[in-house]
Amino acid sequence: MKQIRSSILFWVLVVLLPLNIYIIFDYAPVEKTMGIVQKVFYFHVASAWIGLLAFVVVFVSSIWYLWRRHHRINNVALASAEIGTIFISCTLLTGPLWAYPIWNTWWTWDPRLTTTLVLWFMYVAYIALQGGGATESRKRLAAVYGIIAFINVPLVFFSARWWRSIHPIVVSEEGIGLAPKMRIAMFVSLATFSLLYAYLLHLRVKTLELQERIKMLRAEAGR
Amino acid sequence: MPNYWRKVFLVYHKDIRDEFRTFDNLLATLIFGAMLVFIFSFAFQLVELQSQQAFPAVLWVSVFFSSMLAIQRSFAKEKDNGSLDALLLATGDRGIIFLAKFLCNFTVLVVFELVVVPLLWMFIGVNTVGSFDIALFIASLVLGSWGLAAIGTMLNGITIQVPSARLLFPILMFPLLIPLLIGVILCSHAALVGDRASVLGWLYALLAFDLLFTLVPLVLFDYVLEG
Repeated sequence: MKQIRSSILFWVLVVLLPLNIYIIFDYAPVEKTMGIVQKVFYFHVASAWIGLLAFVVVFVSSIWYLWRRHHRINNVALASAEIGTIFISCTLLTGPLWAYPIWNTWWTWDPRLTTTLVLWFMYVAYIALQGGGATESRKRLAAVYGIIAFINVPLVFFSARWWRSIHPIVVSEEGIGLAPKMRIAMFVSLATFSLLYAYLLHLRVKTLELQERIKMLRAEAGR
Repeated sequence: MPNYWRKVFLVYHKDIRDEFRTFDNLLATLIFGAMLVFIFSFAFQLVELQSQQAFPAVLWVSVFFSSMLAIQRSFAKEKDNGSLDALLLATGDRGIIFLAKFLCNFTVLVVFELVVVPLLWMFIGVNTVGSFDIALFIASLVLGSWGLAAIGTMLNGITIQVPSARLLFPILMFPLLIPLLIGVILCSHAALVGDRASVLGWLYALLAFDLLFTLVPLVLFDYVLEG
């Protein structure tokens, strides 16, 4: 059953990923003032969203792990952190590509930029803490760090916002400041990236489990 | 409850005595701090940067980096001497150990600042024209050291348990310190120019941050020092 579900996800992605590219580059109109550069927005926002989502998954599964101590849950946390790091890296790389022509600077200490960078550092620290050979104590300590780091995210955001802000606010209380076709492109992007995240998470958790199994079998054979 | 605080005091007392008797760790921290402020102020002088503007930034970066040395020993010495289990048995509550170690680290940081702040002040040649707000400056030092000690103690408890992770201590710690960094630098800067009104909110925010990162480890420390 699980096998079928993951292969359905795979084929859905095979269709969705090219479709997403088509919608972004052909269906959605070219922005009037920014031009073609604005297309990076769809990747940028979707990756940032996955970065945050992955971090929430790390937080929830860290609490769950400390509570129940299922190794599987820790694997989910680690896999999610790894995938999150990659997507956050995409956000951090696509941001300057857009910012340089539009803001005339590669980087600025805006709350969202600062928070994203700090998030990236915390992800990397979390993965380093879990290390290659994850022992029981490493998993436990990483879970504690995963919880503290998550608490830190809003603190970084609000303290940096209090200090200054110039990042464009696309989604505000008044609604979404986007043309309808662009809005559709953004939502398709968000959905595609979310499914991609789910699929990658599934694959990575499976790999981690197989790794553990190999280690166990090796230990048994050695004895 | 009085028993709880008595235990905290006893562990704190033990650690402080150890810190001042062995002295080598404190000395290394002090010299490292002095070296940092020397190098920073010297580097600024070389290209004639307005180093007075940079005073709060240099001060806190130096304190943050030196705190790595100051704090890294607090659990490492228990681990190396094999006394962590004894400590756990003697206190029976991991919160007590956290609080005592936190207070000890806080004390060490205050001692460190008593030496390094005047040094940096001298090197940079800070020129305050009567508007220096000393109460605010001390408040920023206390709130900054508090948060630093709390987060540092917590993460030191984490990193000593994984042999190869001791080097991770600063990597784990610095991202968590960013909100603190923003707050203390703004407050110290405001103290220098005597503009207390503009940072009152920050003082409360720092206080809240410190309380949060003292209480959260108290809850989570049972999981850190397990088994």
